[in-house]
Amino acid sequence: MNYLQSMFITLITVRKDFKDGLYDIAHSLQRINMAFYFAWGDTKARYRRSILGPFWIVLSTAISVAGLGFLWSALLRDEPSKLVPSLTVGLVIWQFISGCILESSSLLVRNAHFIRNMSIPYFIFAIQLLMRQLINFGHNFIVVIAVLAIYPPQFSAVQLLVIPGLILIIGNLAWIVLFLAMVGARFRDFEQIIGALMPLMFFLSPVIYRSSQLSMGQEIIWLNPFTYLITLIRDPIMGTQPPLFVYEVAISALLIGGTLSIYQFGKRRGKIAFWI
Amino acid sequence: MAYINFDNVTVAYPIYSGGAKSLTNNLINIGTGGRVTKGSGSVVTITALENISFKLSDGDAIGLIGHNGAGKTTLLRTMAGIYKPVSGTVMKSGKISTIIELGAGLDSELTGYENIYRMGLLLGMSKKEIDNLIPSIEIFTELGNFLEAPVRTYSSGMLMRLMFAVNTATMPEILIVDEMFGTGDKGFQEKAEDRMKNVISAAKIFVFASHSDYLIEKFCNRVFELKHGRMQEIY
Repeated sequence: MNYLQSMFITLITVRKDFKDGLYDIAHSLQRINMAFYFAWGDTKARYRRSILGPFWIVLSTAISVAGLGFLWSALLRDEPSKLVPSLTVGLVIWQFISGCILESSSLLVRNAHFIRNMSIPYFIFAIQLLMRQLINFGHNFIVVIAVLAIYPPQFSAVQLLVIPGLILIIGNLAWIVLFLAMVGARFRDFEQIIGALMPLMFFLSPVIYRSSQLSMGQEIIWLNPFTYLITLIRDPIMGTQPPLFVYEVAISALLIGGTLSIYQFGKRRGKIAFWI
Repeated sequence: MAYINFDNVTVAYPIYSGGAKSLTNNLINIGTGGRVTKGSGSVVTITALENISFKLSDGDAIGLIGHNGAGKTTLLRTMAGIYKPVSGTVMKSGKISTIIELGAGLDSELTGYENIYRMGLLLGMSKKEIDNLIPSIEIFTELGNFLEAPVRTYSSGMLMRLMFAVNTATMPEILIVDEMFGTGDKGFQEKAEDRMKNVISAAKIFVFASHSDYLIEKFCNRVFELKHGRMQEIY
């Protein structure tokens, strides 16, 4: 009887923690307009006294693409018509994903001022980060469109798969950002660890190259979670449909990762104000 | 009807030493049994508030006094829901507005006007509501053209005027203020007192931490005293 009682109590606590997490997320979603206003404000502020403004984002991506594109196509002995569009899309997606991940570990710490002084749901900061990165992604997409105009892929209904792909990426990034933010709030060297790992992941992920170009690493590349995220958007843009298992993995990750993150969030949330 | 009810609330801070804040230290500990790195397990807990109980309802204006480090700001934060108690329950109802740290919610690169929008949004107002309140905020702060300058050019007194104006512009149901009036000049203090009277009568619950007996006497109808985390109501 004692064992059953303790199981029961654990289940109730778990349910309560999960509900607390959902509560914060719900309150954050209610204030999504504010998150957008701040994200847009941050973007404007970053380029406030600069000449080109936010088009610096576009310019730097265009330069990377132009430079790297032709360099790597010569080095990898790949045709520019295949490599340059693939590289461009890969770079733009990578900037989005790594931008979110690099900033997530310091997310709560950076917003300590708000968290300590007003009653505010924490997930709103994650929403703000995602929006800011999406705004950057939108600007960078101009370069993608320009490159696709020069090296057009096959256009068909497959391109529309970009939309569910993007939704799956954003959904997964949402729980990843939340989780990393909590770890980063508790352990202050986590930010450095992530900062050291991400450049490595850049080379281990099919950003510059396509997974089909790896002679022996075909299966290994799919052990890398970033491969799934990149494939979800790049393949449809290039005209190929991503294999079904990519969607299966992405959806499972979203459900399992999301549930675990929300539970942990609800459980630790009370301590976060003391950690930062 | 607004209320804040504390029932045997205890709030404890974990303080992590440098080692405890490091992930690599904690991971190494798992492998070596704590012999290689010292101090990764040292977490000191400070009990900031102990067994606090009270009931606040409409019409209460509480003055909170106590020595430095008694736990006044911690209590204010726990009332606002910023800190969660380690034991006991906090029940509250009503929209809360807090003025605790000077400059919280302000972005120093943005102008005064932009910060008014920023703070207003953080307080839960809509853009339209803020638009309607801008004229009265302009008049109250008397900052004139400074509102168009970035907030990092402001003195602390000017910052306080701005924060105070925005936080009291919407009449919140529960207003929690942490000893702020020190930095305002005399003209502002008089204005602030008038405004405070209006806000307090509109606010259902007002909690004010201060070292100034004069202000507490002026605004509050109940007084709580905190000593080393324990609270007593005094008249």
